[in-house]
Amino acid sequence: MKLPTDIGKDCARAWDAMPWSLQNSATRDQDEWLNQHLAQCEACRSEFELQSRLRLAISLPQDVPVDVDAGLRRLLARIDAPDTRAARQRSRTSWVTRALVAAVLVQAIGIGVLGARLWSEASQADYRTLSQASAPLPTGAMHVVPDDTMKLADWDTLLHTFRLQVIGGPNEVGAYTVVASDGSTSSRDTLQKLRTTHGIRLAEPVANTP
Amino acid sequence: MTEADIDADATDRMLLQRMSAGDRAALAVLYRSYHGRLCRFLSRLTRRSDVIEEVINDCLWITWQKAGTFHGDSRVSTWIIGIAYRCGLKALRQHGDEPVDDDALSEDRFPAHCPDEDRELRDWLAKGLSRLSADQRVVIELVYGLGHTLDDVAVIMQCPVGTVKARLFHARVKLRNTLPALAGDPPIRKESMP
Ligand SMILES: [Zn+2]
Repeated sequence: MKLPTDIGKDCARAWDAMPWSLQNSATRDQDEWLNQHLAQCEACRSEFELQSRLRLAISLPQDVPVDVDAGLRRLLARIDAPDTRAARQRSRTSWVTRALVAAVLVQAIGIGVLGARLWSEASQADYRTLSQASAPLPTGAMHVVPDDTMKLADWDTLLHTFRLQVIGGPNEVGAYTVVASDGSTSSRDTLQKLRTTHGIRLAEPVANTP
Repeated sequence: MTEADIDADATDRMLLQRMSAGDRAALAVLYRSYHGRLCRFLSRLTRRSDVIEEVINDCLWITWQKAGTFHGDSRVSTWIIGIAYRCGLKALRQHGDEPVDDDALSEDRFPAHCPDEDRELRDWLAKGLSRLSADQRVVIELVYGLGHTLDDVAVIMQCPVGTVKARLFHARVKLRNTLPALAGDPPIRKESMP
């Protein structure tokens, strides 16, 4: 005969064992022990019935209709044309998220030729690259991520139009650092225009932390 | 892990390997294989089908991007569900306060073939789950629905096993107090019926 405290302990043990027995991940010994306890304990038996019904209910196919084919088509389209997606996200995600998305895209598709060309231009400039972390960036510097589909000529035109020059990049998140080529520091207006320019994935001011 | 689980994991690993080499057919197979699971899992977080699809695609997009970095510390399914969980939480933060478009809300839409018995079971479950926090609903789905172990759930939710145990315990206590006792009872009728 068992003392009430033992029964309490057994019930706690049975309570713990139920989910694993229900999902068939308990050992045979554990299952046998639970069955023995259930045979002699009304309270645990009723709890186990509730648990069984819970498992049954949870296992029903979900009832919110989501079209698998349409979803897959959209995902494949997103992989084929990642820039549209990034543009859509621009309005609602943070800089970090956007930068990370951009980094993934840039790495995935590669703007190798463009990057190499810009890099060599940057190294000829008076300024140093981002990799030289100790050198403070000039006031008004911006991070700009162009579309990977952007042609080199368009990028050049864009820089010329906005009177910008590349002084570094791409950094680890795929952003180029640009400044006004005439040395002016009023870039707020330029920033706004860049953001609405087709082919610019993102444009952000560089936070200067001396 | 059962033998079927081991087989499924081996298949998933093979698919990831092919995906890391840019194989879209492998992605399509993985997408279809996880769609049902992810839908149900995410339906515990939101009832909006548009948000569910968005999260599934965010999750599989990350899976596609990171397929080559999967090192196999866990089952593939644990890894993917973990990504879906984090994408789901992010989506909740983004869409939580948006006005809900009626078309996107599918609370009362059931497949036409859905038998009454299922409907009753769903109502019963919905009643219980409505009293739980999002994390408690997630734990219930992970354990009773997807069949994950405590250790798996801790990996998915990126929290200690003790926290998972506590969430499961409290969820079960709440469910027991909310859901009618069922010992020998016939299936519950809708309350509005005489
Ligand atoms: Zn007992």
